[in-house]
Amino acid sequence: MTLLDFARGPALQWSLIILVAGTLWRLLGALLIRRETDLSQPRSDATVSGGVRTVFSRFVPRKEFHDNAMLAVVLGFVMHIGLAIVVFLFTPHILFFDSVFGVSWPGLPSNLVMAAGVLTVASLVALLVRRWNTPLLKMISSADDYISLLVTLIPVVTGMMAYAHVGGPYQTVLAIHILSVEAMLIWFPFGKLFHAVAWIPSRAQLGATLQRRGVKA
Amino acid sequence: MTIDMQMFQQFAQMLPQLGNNAQPPQMSDAERVHAATETFVRKLDSRMAVDLESCIHCGHCASACHFYVPTQNPKYAPVHKLDLLKRVYRRELSPLRWLHRLYTDEITVDDLHEWQELVYDSCTECGRCSMVCPMGINIAAMVNVMRQGMANAGVIPAELMAMEQEQGGHDSLFGVGPEQMKGAIAKLQAAGVDIPLDRDKAEILVTTSVIDLLLFTDGLIATAKIMNHLGLDWTLRSDGYEAANFGLLSGYERVQKLASERIVAAAQACDAKTVIIPECGHAYPSMRWEAANEHGSRLPFEVLAISEFLGREVKAGRLKLNRLGRERKVTFHDPCKLARHSGTIEEPRWVLDALGVDFREVESGKELNWCCGGGAGVFLINSASDLRQNAFKIKMAQVEQTGANSVVTACGSCRLNFLNGAMKSGWDKGIESLVELVAEALPTN
Repeated sequence: MTLLDFARGPALQWSLIILVAGTLWRLLGALLIRRETDLSQPRSDATVSGGVRTVFSRFVPRKEFHDNAMLAVVLGFVMHIGLAIVVFLFTPHILFFDSVFGVSWPGLPSNLVMAAGVLTVASLVALLVRRWNTPLLKMISSADDYISLLVTLIPVVTGMMAYAHVGGPYQTVLAIHILSVEAMLIWFPFGKLFHAVAWIPSRAQLGATLQRRGVKA
Repeated sequence: MTIDMQMFQQFAQMLPQLGNNAQPPQMSDAERVHAATETFVRKLDSRMAVDLESCIHCGHCASACHFYVPTQNPKYAPVHKLDLLKRVYRRELSPLRWLHRLYTDEITVDDLHEWQELVYDSCTECGRCSMVCPMGINIAAMVNVMRQGMANAGVIPAELMAMEQEQGGHDSLFGVGPEQMKGAIAKLQAAGVDIPLDRDKAEILVTTSVIDLLLFTDGLIATAKIMNHLGLDWTLRSDGYEAANFGLLSGYERVQKLASERIVAAAQACDAKTVIIPECGHAYPSMRWEAANEHGSRLPFEVLAISEFLGREVKAGRLKLNRLGRERKVTFHDPCKLARHSGTIEEPRWVLDALGVDFREVESGKELNWCCGGGAGVFLINSASDLRQNAFKIKMAQVEQTGANSVVTACGSCRLNFLNGAMKSGWDKGIESLVELVAEALPTN
């Protein structure tokens, strides 16, 4: 079995199993801890709409917070959108999804995807440097923050290397690229990449809690 | 109307000695750690678990915090204040605890002492951080659990311990118990203020607080005048008058329940359909949101903050007010516990509108208002003095930017903190109470 066969075969299967099982375990484990009924008289019963509103409203901070938050918000947007373009709109990736899941969709021209990749890498590096150089962020960071940034960054870099045919034989670079993606999938349930799942219930519960008290979050 | 500044200065001079009355519990280090850990595990629920699992360490919460912004000290980042709770969660409750235990340290008594400043001195549980958090994490709720754990471990500021012990042990605050309360009311009655006390039956139970009895008596008189003007069936009761809850502020659950149950029992004893909370920030969420859960069932009466009550009466056309005039340029300070925590946002504005003053809204007001820096008992903590004063600078700038001559609020703690802050920095803005303005504008019958 070549390295590429391993990456495309058992490594892929196991990383997906760990991703799905680990994510469900962590999500359900947190959701199923005790939750008591609030006996106070609500000011508003529209807690579902309050929750849904906050799920969407927190994509962009309210203008009162722009001065301090916007740099990180812009970097975050570039990184997330860039990542989504690279992962889901690169034609070879779509072919891969088609082969595994049997669904496909149109992709973007490769040079556009590469431009998105460059922006993604740049924003990830900026976030990494910022975290390391800002006393506040450095203090509240743990190894998880750096690992999560790196396991996101490396697949993008190795993917671009594979596309550009640099860094070694194509088959090897491609195998390393796939393995690095699998490392990210395995890390996902254990570190803060898990926020990609948790953001919905955590925003929703604040929105619902404050709506119950008559406050728009 | 203003308060007696001499009385206020005497009160302020008394505060540095407040902690001398505290009787710290004798506990070993291991007992303290155990008490804190046990409380954290008992109070952590799935909402907090989801919140703790979703934090991305972005630090936005710090930019919303009135203790971080002026100091830029990373240790005041709201998320950092939760660190001990997070560690206990990770080791004891997290679905991944078998993994987290490998690299997450147990909390120690040194940690508890270090975090005392972070969850008491430098957090008013104002909740502004939750309004910017991209994950919507309810940080203030978890700081409150931190306080409960620390309180059970006996690691809390002496001032709050003294207040909690006095309220829990003697049913008094600053030496004012039911007998002193009756004396104070008798004095007001003798001065011609019609205050019904200890009635067996009344539609409305009005509560007050030690601050109103000692310092802001004008606020209490104003409330009585308004209730009488409206011709309402109301009473104050000496068995349930104290709305301030130092159990809640310090983190002692037993005293919190004791204090709120006194009001519940007094309201039930006189069959009140409504309980009115005076201008006291934390007293409102204590009765409005927490009391039912401590009581174990929905309360058989409605709980209204006095500002909320006044707003409703004005809106419904039952309370007509004289216009005080546009030459009075005022702004409003939304007490965090009433606005951001409780949705009492428009009601005070309806009142200000009816008062016909030149009302100027602050930038970042309403549910995004900056805390005055003195909430959640921080006003009483002597070691927090500098932190508080720094935070108050944000408040002063916010008020000055409106061009108003005075700032109106609806919380006694905010008012005390404003008075103290203004006194220390020679600030010349008026600091007024909403209920007192309303009493001033009552038409003569």
